[in-house]
Amino acid sequence: MKTEKLLPRGRIALLVISAALALAAALMSLPLYSFTASVYTKKSANTFVGDDKYKEVRAEVEAEAKAYEEKGMAVTIDETVTERTNSKGKTTSLVAFSIQETFRKNIWSFLNGDLPSCRVLQIMLLCALLGVVCTLAGSAFCLGQVPKTLSRPKRVLRGAACVLFGLDVILTPVFILMNNHTFWRKLGLYNSELITDGKEAFFGKLDRFLFGGSLGDGIDAALKNLSADHSPLVWGLMLLFALAALGAVQIRFGAVKKTFLRVLLYVFVAAVCIVTLYPYYVMLITAFRSNAETLDMYFLNMLPTKWIWSNLTDIIRRGVPRFLANSVMVAGGATVLAMLCGIPAAFAMARMRFRGKKIFLGFVIMSQMFSPVVLLIGISQLMNILHLNDTILGLVLINAAFNQAFAIWLLRGTFVAISPEMEQAAKIDGCTTFGSLTRVLLPMAAPGIVTTLIFVFINAWNEYTISTVLISTASKRPITVGITQFSSFNMIEWQYLFAASLLATIPVVILFMAIEKHLTSGLTSGGVKG
Amino acid sequence: MNAGSRKNTLTPYLWLLPSILLIGIFVVFPIVIVFRMSFSEISKSGVIGGFIGLKNYKDAVSLPAFGTVMKNTFWWVLSVVGLSTLLGFIIALVLNQEFAGRKIARSILIFPWATSLVIQASVWNYIIKYEYGSLNNVLLNLGIIKNAVNWRSSYQIEFIWECGVGIFVTIPFVAFCVLSGLQSIDESLYESAIVDGAGFWDKLFKITLPLVRPALSVSTVLNIIYVFNSFPIVYTMTKGAPANKTDTMITYLYMLSFYDRRKGPAIALSVIGFVILCICAGIYMMTVMRKEDSES
Repeated sequence: MKTEKLLPRGRIALLVISAALALAAALMSLPLYSFTASVYTKKSANTFVGDDKYKEVRAEVEAEAKAYEEKGMAVTIDETVTERTNSKGKTTSLVAFSIQETFRKNIWSFLNGDLPSCRVLQIMLLCALLGVVCTLAGSAFCLGQVPKTLSRPKRVLRGAACVLFGLDVILTPVFILMNNHTFWRKLGLYNSELITDGKEAFFGKLDRFLFGGSLGDGIDAALKNLSADHSPLVWGLMLLFALAALGAVQIRFGAVKKTFLRVLLYVFVAAVCIVTLYPYYVMLITAFRSNAETLDMYFLNMLPTKWIWSNLTDIIRRGVPRFLANSVMVAGGATVLAMLCGIPAAFAMARMRFRGKKIFLGFVIMSQMFSPVVLLIGISQLMNILHLNDTILGLVLINAAFNQAFAIWLLRGTFVAISPEMEQAAKIDGCTTFGSLTRVLLPMAAPGIVTTLIFVFINAWNEYTISTVLISTASKRPITVGITQFSSFNMIEWQYLFAASLLATIPVVILFMAIEKHLTSGLTSGGVKG
Repeated sequence: MNAGSRKNTLTPYLWLLPSILLIGIFVVFPIVIVFRMSFSEISKSGVIGGFIGLKNYKDAVSLPAFGTVMKNTFWWVLSVVGLSTLLGFIIALVLNQEFAGRKIARSILIFPWATSLVIQASVWNYIIKYEYGSLNNVLLNLGIIKNAVNWRSSYQIEFIWECGVGIFVTIPFVAFCVLSGLQSIDESLYESAIVDGAGFWDKLFKITLPLVRPALSVSTVLNIIYVFNSFPIVYTMTKGAPANKTDTMITYLYMLSFYDRRKGPAIALSVIGFVILCICAGIYMMTVMRKEDSES
């Protein structure tokens, strides 16, 4: 960035910030939120549109509306006609008139309410004000100076302005979504009497906010048909704050584009993380909710209203520890067996020359492709022949065999990467080949071995299809099959299903995170997947 | 190493023996059984009878759901492998940048990979429930929708959801494969490219893509095989309902064999699937072996 360009650019940035904030203030005084409530209703039976009775009632309603208008309210008359034909073929008609009051509010009026969104707006305004103060204090008399040469407090002030305006950008959708939650979701649920707890306190707050607390006991009727809407223009607020933030960024860093890309990067990463974690959040909160709550669509909180720890004791009573123990046996046994057979094979592949090595390597890679699932019927037949059907030993053998190829492949990669000099030296000292493997090579290859070990363990732990087919006795099921007992065809006990899933997931996720660092290097030497 | 004496020629094979036995008995033998069974008459209880030639295959092809199932399998593999490769590649490019919290982001991304597919599928099953599902609940609470949406109103949409969950759980695998490829790229290549005035797209298509191609092709071929074999997602979310319209080949042959007790056509399907896999495996083997050769 050239120094002579900094000053004019800084001025433009200051201009953009002030213009954006002024526009935001103007936008906030527009009546963007509109509320419609019915203040008067009249129903008239046996009335057809256009007949005498209709005209009579209509006149009555119009007179009523006029009375409201004289009080200074903006009202509209709404009519709905319900026609019905009875069993004798006679048509009856019911006309319902209602007088609806529409009133609008601007965003400033949210400042002095006590709805949750009002607090957000207060914070937003505070941020904007502080942001302006920081910008001015940080750039007074030094707008044209290269940011890197500034004194520390000035840099901090300019940085703070970026953060504050950035916060406003994030808080704007929070404000809008909170309003949606209050006026669309919560009010709707109270009005349709799907929820009742805390109704009085909530209606009291709405009364104070919408009618200045003047309605008192009449609030129930007034809110009964209240509908709220907002103009999409409120989202413009976010755009304006984003402009202000960009201005602040220009002043702080002198380069908008680079910082902007950085921000985009963080937004992308945050979005990916949120989507990835969402199912786990659902699993976690559902595991601690009561059965009634898991089946409740009218659930307003982000967390369980009450954490039901007894879900855990319930699943313990219903055999989950047994399933977990079975899984440990299957996965542990398969891992041990796969390593016991795999390490010598990988050692031979890495250190020895022999005929057919290439063929064996091809065979190993090839057999890595054979998922047990497509051979399901063959495997169950084999297990019948060996009398291993419905045994944990059978699962151990199958899991070990189908992970064998991948274990050899990965271990071989690790062994090849280690220079054979140490082993040769050990051999000269009188060590056997076996000794040189166990005493020299294995300790050096420890990270690769641990990675392979954990990988095989997780693969076997998460295996589902073969266990479903081979195991018929309930007490021999591994956890992946065991959890399905909570979801029968007509009733799913979600809270138990997810509590058990949680117990099955946490250990493997932790194990997997432990080898994440080695994953990337392990993957290049061969394909692996759970 | 001296390969002269007889003892020394045998030693390597002794080291390989346990592994060969394990694979031979539990991987190769079932393959032989499956092939033999596919040409034999099989009773409902699974007793193998005499040789009947290609009858099982004819039965399998003439099953009413055969066409649908093959079509589903094709779309399932194509969409899951294609989209997860694309998205995984993009995510890997981003995660390869230096930024604060990169380690945490990587650890989080690994979650779906480490989780059992049954569990993932069950959670998504709950999320998209119409009456009380979490997605409807969250969107309603935020006022993004005003009325509950039926996320699984038809079997086509349910199948799309299944593909979506498949993509979701496959992305980490692709992303980490690509990351491993990206990390082996020499930084100086980019630096000299910048000196030559290369832009973002130039760097992507002329340096990054050719250099991660081996990693990408390995992950793609492996993915085709894993996704083809994937059973729990479809089985947990729809069980192939209604009338096998959302079944893939694997879930269908499971249903045929263990629910309908029609082992004959099921075993024929097994062999067809196995042959398809062998072709993929052959392609994969050639790529990997070529890579081995070029490295050594």
